[in-house]
Amino acid sequence: MSAIAKPVTPSARERHRSRVAIWREQHAWACAASVRALAARPFGTVLTVAVMGLALALPLAFYLLLCNVQRLSGSLSESQAIGIFLKPSADAVSANALAKRLRARTDIADLVVKTPQQGLSELAAMQGFGEALQTMPDNPLPFVLLAQPRPGLSRAQTEALVGVLRTLPEVDMVQDDGAWRARLDAFIALGQRVTLLLAALLAAAALLVVGNTVRLDIRARAEELVVQRLVGASAGFVRRPFLYEGLWYGGLAGAIAAGLVALLEWGLAEPVRALTASYAGRLVFDGLPIFELLLVPLAAALLGWTGAWLASTRHLSPANPH
Amino acid sequence: MLLRFVPVPFPRPLRFHVIRFDSVSKRYASGHQALSALSFRIQAGEMVFVTGHSGAGKSTLLKLIALIERASAGAIEVAGNNLASVRGRRIARLRRNLGMVFQDHRLLMDRSVGENVALPLIIAGVPADERARRVRAALDKVGLLAYEKQPPVTLSTGEQQRVGIARAIVAKPALIIADEPTGNLDPQLSYEIMQLFAEFQRVGTTVLIASHDLPLLKRMKQRTIVLDHGRLVADVPAAEIA
Repeated sequence: MSAIAKPVTPSARERHRSRVAIWREQHAWACAASVRALAARPFGTVLTVAVMGLALALPLAFYLLLCNVQRLSGSLSESQAIGIFLKPSADAVSANALAKRLRARTDIADLVVKTPQQGLSELAAMQGFGEALQTMPDNPLPFVLLAQPRPGLSRAQTEALVGVLRTLPEVDMVQDDGAWRARLDAFIALGQRVTLLLAALLAAAALLVVGNTVRLDIRARAEELVVQRLVGASAGFVRRPFLYEGLWYGGLAGAIAAGLVALLEWGLAEPVRALTASYAGRLVFDGLPIFELLLVPLAAALLGWTGAWLASTRHLSPANPH
Repeated sequence: MLLRFVPVPFPRPLRFHVIRFDSVSKRYASGHQALSALSFRIQAGEMVFVTGHSGAGKSTLLKLIALIERASAGAIEVAGNNLASVRGRRIARLRRNLGMVFQDHRLLMDRSVGENVALPLIIAGVPADERARRVRAALDKVGLLAYEKQPPVTLSTGEQQRVGIARAIVAKPALIIADEPTGNLDPQLSYEIMQLFAEFQRVGTTVLIASHDLPLLKRMKQRTIVLDHGRLVADVPAAEIA
């Protein structure tokens, strides 16, 4: 055994050591301790992370579907023209005269006249109609005016315009696409609300899962925590490894959720493409932007940290190790 | 004129009270009166034993010093701190200046011997290189340097106790308190452990040990405070230990 040194107070170097360096070293220790704690029970860790990952993936999947429906709805809104079908007796002169009158209205931004021939050509181009039209002796289609309402027109104003158009003597029928679009908007708003509620509920579930896991971990490591307290650990020092645990749980679960959603995108893209191709459509199933996907593990890590903070605040005694 | 040589007094360590108990009483919530009007002082660099039968109040006394329990009445001063006013973060700070040794060692069995000893230094924020040096020095002092990387579970009870002692001294505290540190050890091993404490005392560390091993206390010949049912019944100076 070597000679025993006299007890000394901490050296000047220790006393004046940068607080940041101490902070960094203690965080590194806490981080390593948290990784060691997770690795000590791999099955439990994987199970917890998987449950949280699935819980977070569900609202994320809803969000993805909603984004695509919204995109579809957006593209439909661009072509929400009011179709004005003229009476079969209306000829080109009266159709053009009516078009001129309507273009003068302030609530109509644009108006296109489609002749019966143009209508027939478009119909013939659509899949399955070509042969059927060839069997017809003459063109049954009327003149159609496609009116684009002025942008920013309210639903009530659009309905008022449709009402006016229906009263015109040349008009046989008015088709207002805005009506079903309003219904679609209502469905999307409902979907957004459901997604938000689902996300809040499942985030709360993830918070509880982390909180409960950390609570059990605090109980399992009670002896170690007592020792830490007795040798002078502050409340923050004792708590820190548990907060890191929460971060790991949340971050890993978020990564799993993002991975599952990416898998969903990949899985649905081809069937959606095939489905729309059969209707001569060009709808593409878009995934979430990479920025949003990267944000998921970060947000989930924050969620895990919060759960761990709540549990450690509740279950760690402030100073007394007993 | 003949100059008279006046000898300069040799500098001596300041003799101040590291521990002061003034009429300290402790009653637990269960109603058990553990200590009654206890008064004594321990000076810097002293080695003092506290003895008495089970339930005499030895452990309670140490718990009050370590702020694990609070006194119901009276005043306790440790290294100039009035413990009644020590709250929150100051509790942790005060404990960092105490070296505590327990009968059951309280080692972390999933960590190596070196990691156990390093714990107070990590908490105190000592840099890694300095930490490694001090851990090796502390293990060297207790004769366990070769076991630094081993888990404590591979060591004997006596060796585990020495790891506990290394952990208590590694931060170079001015005061070491030990609660029955030789409780589970044979007489020879107990004496060796006590000799280790005596070595720390010889270099100026104040040592306070609770023990009911009277033969060992007689052999150590140090000041002994005797408690009985929470009351101080004798405070025997080292010179009077037979």
